[in-house]
Parts: sequence; structure tokens; C-alpha cells
Amino acid sequence: MGILVHEGTRVIVQGITGSAAAHHTAVMLAFGTQVVAGVRPNANVREVHGVPVFDTVAAAVGERPADASILFVPAKAMKAAAFEALDAGVGLIVMVSEHVPMHDAMAIFEHASACGAQVVGPNTPGLIDPAARCKIGFVPSDYYIPGPVGVASRSGTLTYEIVARLTRAGIGQTTCVGVGGDAMVGTTFPEIARLFQDDPQTEAIVFVGEIGGSMEEVVAALVRERTVSKPVVAYLAGRNAPEGKRMGHAGAIVAGGRGSIASKLRAFEEAEIPVAEVPAELPVLVRRALGLEDGGP
Amino acid sequence: MKLREYQAKDVFRRYGLSVPPGEIADTPEAAAAAAARIGTPVVLKPQLGVKGRGKAGGILFAEQPADAQEAAAKLLDAEIRGERVRRLLVEAKENITEEMYAAVTIDPAAKRPVVVASRAGGVDIEEVARATPERVLKRPVSILDGPSGEDLAAVAATLGSDGAEAIATLYRIFAECDAETVEVNPLVRTGSGALVAVDAVLNVDDDALFRHQDLVAYRQEIPVEDPIAEQAREHAWTYIDLDGDIAILSSGAGLTMAILDLMQRAGGRPANFLDTAQIDDEGIYEAFDLLSRAGRPRAILVNIFAGLNRCDRLAEGITKYVRERPPGVPVVVRMIGNREQEGYRILRQAGIEPVAEIEDAIRLAVQAAGGAS
Repeated sequence: MGILVHEGTRVIVQGITGSAAAHHTAVMLAFGTQVVAGVRPNANVREVHGVPVFDTVAAAVGERPADASILFVPAKAMKAAAFEALDAGVGLIVMVSEHVPMHDAMAIFEHASACGAQVVGPNTPGLIDPAARCKIGFVPSDYYIPGPVGVASRSGTLTYEIVARLTRAGIGQTTCVGVGGDAMVGTTFPEIARLFQDDPQTEAIVFVGEIGGSMEEVVAALVRERTVSKPVVAYLAGRNAPEGKRMGHAGAIVAGGRGSIASKLRAFEEAEIPVAEVPAELPVLVRRALGLEDGGP
Repeated sequence: MKLREYQAKDVFRRYGLSVPPGEIADTPEAAAAAAARIGTPVVLKPQLGVKGRGKAGGILFAEQPADAQEAAAKLLDAEIRGERVRRLLVEAKENITEEMYAAVTIDPAAKRPVVVASRAGGVDIEEVARATPERVLKRPVSILDGPSGEDLAAVAATLGSDGAEAIATLYRIFAECDAETVEVNPLVRTGSGALVAVDAVLNVDDDALFRHQDLVAYRQEIPVEDPIAEQAREHAWTYIDLDGDIAILSSGAGLTMAILDLMQRAGGRPANFLDTAQIDDEGIYEAFDLLSRAGRPRAILVNIFAGLNRCDRLAEGITKYVRERPPGVPVVVRMIGNREQEGYRILRQAGIEPVAEIEDAIRLAVQAAGGAS
């Protein structure tokens, strides 16, 4: 099962003729993702890696119905591309680009919500469901195996590090979602927590959080009030981040104590959510959360 | 980009929002001349990027041009909240009968703009909101439609109908300038009953500056705080200067933060970090070059996770730099991802032993820098 995607998820790639998009189309296809169409206005190619290319999302989904779209388009063009997908009725859009203007992101979120669609990102490596062989984005699938743990993260490379450790420890994943590193993201940690709570396959949830914003605190509140009753384990990056500096992720800034590591650690402690001090500790905590012996899976 | 007060007031004026008559002065003599032209009494305000200059005693008043000259001499070149004062805004002192607060900002949790209005202006609004939340009106607004009639009616009930008009204007500025925050504190009512923006904050989303060439021009008047960070920004990289002695070159913000945490635990002290996200061989060469300008560390830690890029290319970039411009300090390279083995071979040929685990790389870098201190 997992969340947001499933075995039959049909995906279109907007901006498919770009070099990164074309490369990752091939990688997604090789993994098993059903990439059914690509979009690129006035393209002089008819197909990319066997995937037919259309001028518009509407034309693409008209011939090849799709559930999701991944937008490999520049940040400046994101709003127009996202609106095009939403207006064509695509139910899940994944925005990989960093530096999408905040006003554009807010417009996309508001329009998506009016359309009843889900947005992942911006500034995300995407999501992957190893059992469904569905990956939308550029997460390196080698590090992921099917299993009972749902993972959500604000970071790309840090998540690969952490999931690689889970996988090496024999702990597989239902769905891993990169929610994005920006201050505002379409699908937030609390929403992901609710989705994992309702997913019968997910037995424990891992959040890879960081300083800035309040998503971690809201997750802690959901756990405290038992809206989320499955075991939750966390890792937090940015314990030594200087105050007031933007730490590379637009969302990771501590100003005036808000979004601080102390506030997040306190919220997790009050909700009795175990927090790994270092990435290497996470598999131990997850195994414990799953009720497994510490000796092995 | 945080516009300075005088720049924000420039924008306000263009939108028809009333601000006090004022001039910029960067010498005491210029301040006296400005005061004479504007008419005394005047107020002298340092033009800074940091907040809290008033509390720090940085705002002075002058009854005569000669007083203005004296006040300016005190303020110019002084350091306020860590920032050097280079420019003053000399403004007519308004005859204030009431101080209010008006702002449009982004509520990241609601993912919407929010208009904020209060009759309790002139003080720290966050303090007012904490102590007496009923005195601060906050209304989330549709980014697609802008403030509704109801939104403005609610503001009018708090600030009066001209206050609601001011909020409508601030919202236009917010929307048309891609602002993160536009704030007036205080928005004052003068003896004649007019509303005047006595202070002005306008913070613009850096990621939207590509469509605001007029605002980019203001950046040239703002002193660059950290030239290396500025150059990093031009590459869409993040550079942050820290106090220690190990330089860190890494990809991905979350992972870079985790490395800082792990390094502190291992007893090492980061000198700085450069987060380059996804780069190629030329990119990593330039990244090394940029880091070298930050002064000589005692070790350099490079961490690469090649998801979109390739280890072999990056290894070529690193070895080319080390060959052409030897950094003179140990370079520890941790590298995994696409074409990892090819990358390792290239590094080994250049005498750099690659490391596979991040903890090992951090330990080696801390040792190379002289061990845990």
C-alpha cells in the first residue's frame, strides 16, 4: 500500500526533454515507475526513452490518463507548469526545483487545494514506494527496500544516508517522501503522519526533521493526542546551527527562538518520541519501535 | 533582500502611501543641511539591516540643524547591534497623536499571506500579540484573490477606514514586489488627522528578484556583509562562516547540518561550510576556489553524495584543483553514489584515499586538524 502512490500510479514528466528530466525518466522507467507521457511545448522530439511527448498536459492526459506529474521545470516556470497540471486534473504534482518564488508556491498550494490535488515539494528529491516499484523523482532507488517503515524528510542527501542505514539494518520502507526543504511545502509532516497512520502497511514512522518552521512540533502534538498512535522515531539536523542564518534550506532558519532545536526536542520529549542523536542510532530506535530484538531483524 | 528603511519608503511613496519628508545623509554636515531643508525638528535614523536600533539608543532627535550635525557625528561609524552605521535617514519629526501597526506577511504554517493590524503600534508587536492577542488582528488572505471586502472591513474596524486603505496599499506592494514582509510600525495619526508611515520594512523574496529589476538596483546601495557568501549565492550555493578550523564542502542542506552536528560531537570545530547541492567537475573546482578565499583552514572535509551527478567527474575536479593549486592542508574526501569506484580510482591516483563512511571522514578530518580540542 504505502501513501500517495501505488503500483498502478501513472506518471507524466513535465519538461521531459531537459537532460536531467530525460535521464531520470529512464531511471524511473528502469525502476518500474509507469511513466506514461512527457510534456514539452514545441518539442522537436516525439518521444524520450520511448515515452511519447505532448505539447500540453491536457493533450497528454487526454490520450494517456495520469495520476501524477513530476515537474522538471525551472523554478521561474513552476507556477505556470503546476497550474497546467492542476487544471488538467492531475491529482498529485511533485515539484523538484529549488528557488520557486514564495508567492508562486502559495498560489500553487491554494489552487491545488481548490482542485483537491496533493502537492509534494518544492525543493524535493521526490518520493518512492519500493514495494510498488513506483518512484517519482530522483531519489537513488538502490538504497531502498520494501518493508514496514514510513519515512518523511525535509532533506535529500541526508535522507539517503539515513535510509541507507535502515536498509543495511534490514529495515525496509513503505513509502519515503521528501517533503521539500523550503519554508513552505505542499504536503507537510503532519499531513504525512496522518496518511501513514491510515496506511495498513506502515507500522512505524520516521521523521527526518531539521531546525526552522513548526512541522515537527505539530507532529509531536498529533502523537500526544493519539491522532497518530503508531510509533514515531525522529532525527533532527541543525543542533549546532548558528541563530539567524539560513542554513541552505530556506526552511531551516532559527530566528528569535522559533523553530529552534530546543523547541523541537522539547516537543518530541513531551510526546515521548525517541530522537536519534546521530544517524547511526536511528536503526536501533526503529527496530525497538517495531518491537524487534536489538540483535537483528 | 531586506530593503533599508529609506528604500522601502521610496517604494511606499510610489504607491501613494504617505511617509515623512526626509533625506539620506552620510556625513554630519550633510545631516545638518538636510535638517535645514526639511525643517526642524528632525529625527536621525541609522539605515541598518538589523532590527532593534531604537532600543539600542540608535534613534536621535534634533531641534536645530546644528544639533542634527552633532547627533549625526555620534551615530555615523558607530556600531549598532553588530552593524556599522554608514547612512542616516534625516526626517521631519511628525506630530504624533496615535501609533498603530499594519503589516502584510506570510504565514508559513497556513501557507498564505496574512494581514496584521493593531492599534497598539510603536512597540514590539510580537510582545503585544503574546500578552494581549485580542489587540492584534490577523487575517489570512487568499493569494489568488487578495484581501476580500470582509478582510478590509475587519481591518477598518480596527484601524479606521483610512487604515484599511493603507492595508490595501500595503497588500498591493506585497503582491507586486513579491514581498515576504511589508510592515509599518508605527503607522501614525498626526495632529492634522493624516496617516503617515513613520517606519517601513520591506523584505523581498530573493528567489523572485529575477522579475524585479527595479528592486535589484537597491541591492547595490546595501553593503555586502560577507563577499564569499555573496559569491556563493551567485552560484545558488550556501556559504556560512563559522569559528573553527575545518572547512566543509558538502552537498545538501540537511546533510551539511548533520555533518556540523557530528563534527561538534567528534570534538572538531567547523571553520565554515559550503553547501553546493548538485555540481559537476567544474563546479567543485570553483567551490574549492571559493573556500580557499575564506583563509586557510587546518583541514578540508569534502562530502559528496552523487545522486544527479557522477563521482568520477567530481573526483577529476577535486584532483585537478589539488594538482594545480595545492591547498597545503589535508583534504579528506568522502564520496558515494554514481560511478563510485571510478571516482575512488581517480582519487587514489592523486594520492587521496577516499572514505566511504561519513563518521570515518569526520574523524579523519578532526584528527588532521590537530585532534579533538
